[in-house]
Amino acid sequence: MSDVTLRDFRSATTPQAAAPAARIDEDWLAVVLGLGIFVLGLAVLVHVDVIGWVVSTAVWGHLGQALGPVSKTYAPLGGIGALIATYAALLVVLSAAAAALKTDVKRFALAFTAVFWIAYASWIVGNYASFAAVTAAEQQKFGVGWSLKLTGEGAYIFALLAGLFIANVVPRFADAIKDAVRPDLYIKTAIVILGGFFAVTAAGKLGLASSLMLRGVAAIVEAYLIYWAVVYFIARKWFGFSREWAAPLASGISICGVSAAIATGGAIRARPVVPVLVSSLVLIFAVVEVLVLPFLAQHFLSGEPLVAAAWMGLAVKTDGAAVAAGGITESLILAKAAAGGTHYQPGWILGTAATIKVFIDIFIGIWAFVLGSIWTRHLDAGRGADKARPREIWQRFPKFIIGFVITFAAGLYLALGTPADIAKNVPAAIGEANTFRVIFFVLTFFSIGVLSNFKALWREGFGKLAAVYLVSLFGFVVWVGLVISWLFFHGLTPPAAS
Amino acid sequence: MSNSEAATAKLRDELHNAPPEPLLPVEKKLIALSLAIGLALLAVLAAVNHFVPTGI
Repeated sequence: MSDVTLRDFRSATTPQAAAPAARIDEDWLAVVLGLGIFVLGLAVLVHVDVIGWVVSTAVWGHLGQALGPVSKTYAPLGGIGALIATYAALLVVLSAAAAALKTDVKRFALAFTAVFWIAYASWIVGNYASFAAVTAAEQQKFGVGWSLKLTGEGAYIFALLAGLFIANVVPRFADAIKDAVRPDLYIKTAIVILGGFFAVTAAGKLGLASSLMLRGVAAIVEAYLIYWAVVYFIARKWFGFSREWAAPLASGISICGVSAAIATGGAIRARPVVPVLVSSLVLIFAVVEVLVLPFLAQHFLSGEPLVAAAWMGLAVKTDGAAVAAGGITESLILAKAAAGGTHYQPGWILGTAATIKVFIDIFIGIWAFVLGSIWTRHLDAGRGADKARPREIWQRFPKFIIGFVITFAAGLYLALGTPADIAKNVPAAIGEANTFRVIFFVLTFFSIGVLSNFKALWREGFGKLAAVYLVSLFGFVVWVGLVISWLFFHGLTPPAAS
Repeated sequence: MSNSEAATAKLRDELHNAPPEPLLPVEKKLIALSLAIGLALLAVLAAVNHFVPTGI
């Protein structure tokens, strides 16, 4: 995924002054941020609680119950103190990140202040018991007579809706805070942290975890070899798009949304405007998917939680939306299962959706190189475009995956390869880092909403592009994804919660 | 009309009125090979999935 909107499309169509080169790209920055938070969390293992002040939000009936520091060590801070400390820490760290990206730090800090407080306020609202309480006992505990039973994680939708409101009702404000609207950076950082969390979850059931990984291979085959070919054919044959438009469109719809569209556009030497416009479409349809598919999954697939998880990873495009959809699906299915008396261990649905997505991401560079080779050597050989080179595979490799692998491996080693007195503290240590992961998810949801100006897209009049997307996504990709998820994941369920 | 609006209009016009680009043999080969390999691999993986027990 990449932070693109129609404003980027406009800038891609009109001459602009060259922006200063960043010291580091967003992928590597996400690795640094994610690993930094992960390592600080691990200090608990040597009895130093460095980040225990990070704010955690619980389901609440009155506001005083909502917030608190994640660690009891910092209990004197109180909920508001923890929230302010979290905001201040993120402001400092992300402002430094903005400086490394050569963004105006003052503008970033102001924009981030608005992004953080609006996003977190919507997250708190979403945790109100009338939205989040699941069982009758919880409703009674929090003193509410009814509940939407969305669970606490369902509050991500509130952050998304807040972003959508800003994008579509007060677009000038959306433009004013655009410097801090960076779903790409937020979700990649979250995914790096998620690696450690998923490792701790998987450590108890290594057999199941390795089975899930093997099934991820099927997802790669499906996305690259089947989806891509069909969508490319539809775009070229039925809708009459040129090769320059059809290839990024096919990659955007079938592989991994924005990053795949941009990688393919670069590889086939398309004009910059092509993948940017495709990316705007990807983001908008991803929002629709996030708002619809998790609820369909809860209704129809609550008995097959990992089919639902794989479906989110395969059908929802862009990393942020897919992993977030996995999170919402987990909360909805776990809530429904709990209401029926089955208590699944949390983390498996989210971890499966994220793993499927990461597996798919790994091959973006290779696929882009394959397409680039075909385009520059056969299809556009006479156009004088420079030939695709193997080093582009590494250039287009999504580097944040390295961070995910490192935290996963480290988490697994700490949980399984260390003495019992250390291993017993690993879940708490990674849990502190994971609280930051939740906050980065909230920021991602809000940012995706802010980037999704539906009115602007329709006004531009690119209905033909949207039609290909609509036909391919909801006529093919979503349903084939469901069939293949069923084929490879049915009968697998998360372990029971202890 | 601003530069941005002109560019948008040009692009919209390009999308709607571009001359048809017929599918070339290389593209047909790419689509067919991709689908054939994909379906074959899925069949193999489905068989492996069926015969190799899950390590739960």
